[in-house]
Amino acid sequence: MAEAPGLSRVRGTNDFVPPEAGALRLLEQALLAHVALYGYAPIATPVLETTDLFLRKSGEEIATRMYAFTHWNRRLCLRPEFTASVIRAYLQHLQDRPLPLRLAYSGPTFRYEKPQRGRYRQFTEVGGELLGAAGPAADAEILQVACGALESVGVRDYRLTVGHLGVALQMLAHLGIDERGQALIVGQLEPLARKQADAAAVVERVALLLGAPTEAADEDDEADDEAALGDLLARVGPEAAAQLATELLHHASLPLDGGVRSPAEIVQRLLAKAARPDPTPQVRTAVEFLQRLHGLAGPPGEALGRLEDLLRDYGVSPEPLEEIDAALALFARYGARPGQVTVDLSLARGLRYYTGLVFEIYDDGPDGPLQLCGGGRYDDLVRALGGREAVPACGFSIGLERAKLALERHGALPAPAAAVEVLVVPVEAADHVAAVEAAQALRGRGIRVELDLRGRGPSGALKHADRQHIPLAVLVGERERAEGTVVLRRLSARTETTLPMADLPLAALVALGRGNGEVHHG
Amino acid sequence: MAKATRPGASEDLRLALPSKGMEDATLNFLAACGMSVDRSNPRQYRAALRTPAGVTVIFQRAADIFEKVDEGSVDLGITGYDIVREHEHEDDAVEVLYPELGYGRCQLVLAVPDAWLDVKSIADLAEVATQLRAKGSELRVATKYANLTRQFLYQHGINYFNIVSSQGALEAAPTMGYGDIVADLMTSGVTLRENRLKTVAGGTILRSEACLIGNRRALAASEAKLQRTRAIVELIEAYLRGRNYASITANVSGESEEAVARRITAHETSAGLRGPTIARVYSKVGGDLPWFAVTIIARRDQLLPAVEQLRKAGAVDMTVQDLHYVFEHRSWHFEALQRQLGGARVQGAGARERTASSVASAAAASELPTVVSS
Repeated sequence: MAEAPGLSRVRGTNDFVPPEAGALRLLEQALLAHVALYGYAPIATPVLETTDLFLRKSGEEIATRMYAFTHWNRRLCLRPEFTASVIRAYLQHLQDRPLPLRLAYSGPTFRYEKPQRGRYRQFTEVGGELLGAAGPAADAEILQVACGALESVGVRDYRLTVGHLGVALQMLAHLGIDERGQALIVGQLEPLARKQADAAAVVERVALLLGAPTEAADEDDEADDEAALGDLLARVGPEAAAQLATELLHHASLPLDGGVRSPAEIVQRLLAKAARPDPTPQVRTAVEFLQRLHGLAGPPGEALGRLEDLLRDYGVSPEPLEEIDAALALFARYGARPGQVTVDLSLARGLRYYTGLVFEIYDDGPDGPLQLCGGGRYDDLVRALGGREAVPACGFSIGLERAKLALERHGALPAPAAAVEVLVVPVEAADHVAAVEAAQALRGRGIRVELDLRGRGPSGALKHADRQHIPLAVLVGERERAEGTVVLRRLSARTETTLPMADLPLAALVALGRGNGEVHHG
Repeated sequence: MAKATRPGASEDLRLALPSKGMEDATLNFLAACGMSVDRSNPRQYRAALRTPAGVTVIFQRAADIFEKVDEGSVDLGITGYDIVREHEHEDDAVEVLYPELGYGRCQLVLAVPDAWLDVKSIADLAEVATQLRAKGSELRVATKYANLTRQFLYQHGINYFNIVSSQGALEAAPTMGYGDIVADLMTSGVTLRENRLKTVAGGTILRSEACLIGNRRALAASEAKLQRTRAIVELIEAYLRGRNYASITANVSGESEEAVARRITAHETSAGLRGPTIARVYSKVGGDLPWFAVTIIARRDQLLPAVEQLRKAGAVDMTVQDLHYVFEHRSWHFEALQRQLGGARVQGAGARERTASSVASAAAASELPTVVSS
């Protein structure tokens, strides 16, 4: 018989238990606190979104990696990232607010990918979006908030790679490649750069998907007939052709009624197609160009000059290079300390909405580079999602679990503060009410208190406090109750003081090294 | 009749066979492998294999067999690879023991109405999907294979579509108006043509044929079941391999066995798999030189070239025999199964494909077989 269905975790997800979960929470709060220093206000959006929100552009590569499902005939998904959600929320609630808007978020995101080191199917993104600000000053701010946040939690010597989608998109548009073709090619940039894909194979695949003639089609008589029909119709002029083809369809008694496509539409597309050349040369030129971009990657000082020459050769505007230059110059004035800055114009990121400067931040460790953060400019997204007007925007997002991994491998992950500072112990059951009183008095001053509920008694309770590294214990017994006092014990010094209940909170704060009565909240 | 099996005995291996569609082809295939199904009445849904003993056969719908194997209510099953790929998931307990049984071949294809004169490739379809979206409509794809179809469309850069899951007659969907195109199984293409549908270039989602699957946990838990599985896998492997080879026997005259052997092995095709077996023929007609019978095992696709080379080496009276089984020195598919059951278990659909191809390449690099003639 099969085993009973297990209660194991879903593959690619994590359980974080104490104290790891505490460390992760601390890290998240520290990152958000740093982002808040730049005026980014928290925004929270749902984990559940409509699938459509993330598939606005055709050819979206994220489609295959989404947790998408149909629930009572609605197509829903678990968000694969935040930016589209934030923009949707902006469109629904914030369009009337003055720009720029600075928004910060953190929360779980989901992608169906092969799990490996640092790559999980549920992961936490901490990030920010800057809406309504164009230009290098805004780009520099986003670079700084991202780098600054990582530095603030102890990430050192990270590597920053900066690119600009403007160059690739300009070139692709110049070559007459449509939106879907652009998406398909840009989606292949990363595999190409990492040498996971062969350029010739990429050209063939993309060209085929864009309608390059196939060998199989050549052998197919029917397909040849269709091509010939297209040629023929193209020769008689558009109006006559449309009439001719419609009659043809009618005489062949091919069922047309009720279909989503009218005969006119079919004929129109047939004509348009016949007039269209094989896209293969354009795709090849584009891929070659993008490969050359990657070949010229390097430190800004060297790369920008070389890239300018290349862009001039291809007749592509050097404006993106100027934007990178200006943004990096401003960024340097913030005082961030990346280990190394690389300009690589083949940097594409996984998502299809970027239009301008893009960047990724890596931590290099003995087991290879780990991408901690990515971001960039997406000036078209607000309009694409139905905004009244185009709103320039940029943003970044840090992978929380990866930031934790990077800090761990450099031994720099801050340990969370001890969960419990004081153990309050009723000596006998009758002392419980007095113990509750003492515990509440301490909690009132922001001290984290555990109340012994197991009736361990003084010696058992002290052993427990010792094992759990709880620095203080408060004992309440019959005599203390009668006198209105408590016993405060310092575990490490093994000293005890009897003091009036009223004095307990202050004495505990002093013993915890929290100064003379200053209130802290954990 | 072989030793009576006790239906339902706990150590009996339970093998699910498809009850409709593929039933006859499956029974013929198993019989050819030497595993006839012993069924007293063709309407019974339980039966047994004559050999190996201890195998209960349960007839089920091909579409249900994956689930039955996954949940462990049967141990092995023969079903379509298309069904396996559509129903598989990362945590399933199903192992593909033999991915290609050589029958039940079909393709899962995208098909569009004949009237869509402008659509002949997947690229055209992508553009049509985008155009439909632009006018506020959506390409509706009717299919029984929602998972495979969705993944295929996404991988080809098509985002704008709506899967209409249907278990009915899919090819009628465009005429009846509940789907614009279909993703359906095609064997000959006749049904599609009759329904005024056509395939598109690059629109083959999956090639499928019958395959043997098993429940990993059940096989790992019972040595008796594993050994019966081994017998089944061995017979299938040897039978399928046997179809690729033939035995050629010829008479050759020469000075000595060595001289004949030199001539025969001079050419690769006539040398056979490992080399000729040569025996003295006590010829009824006299002659200058003695005669020898030469037997080689040749690949079927090399049969005529081998005959031609034998002729050049002086061979006469060539006879060719089918080889019912060809056993190698080890069973590649069974060893692949053992590896999967042993510690290094790779999960997921990708692993499934890897297993199949590693079996194929291991077999390609394999050493020479033991031959059983029919």
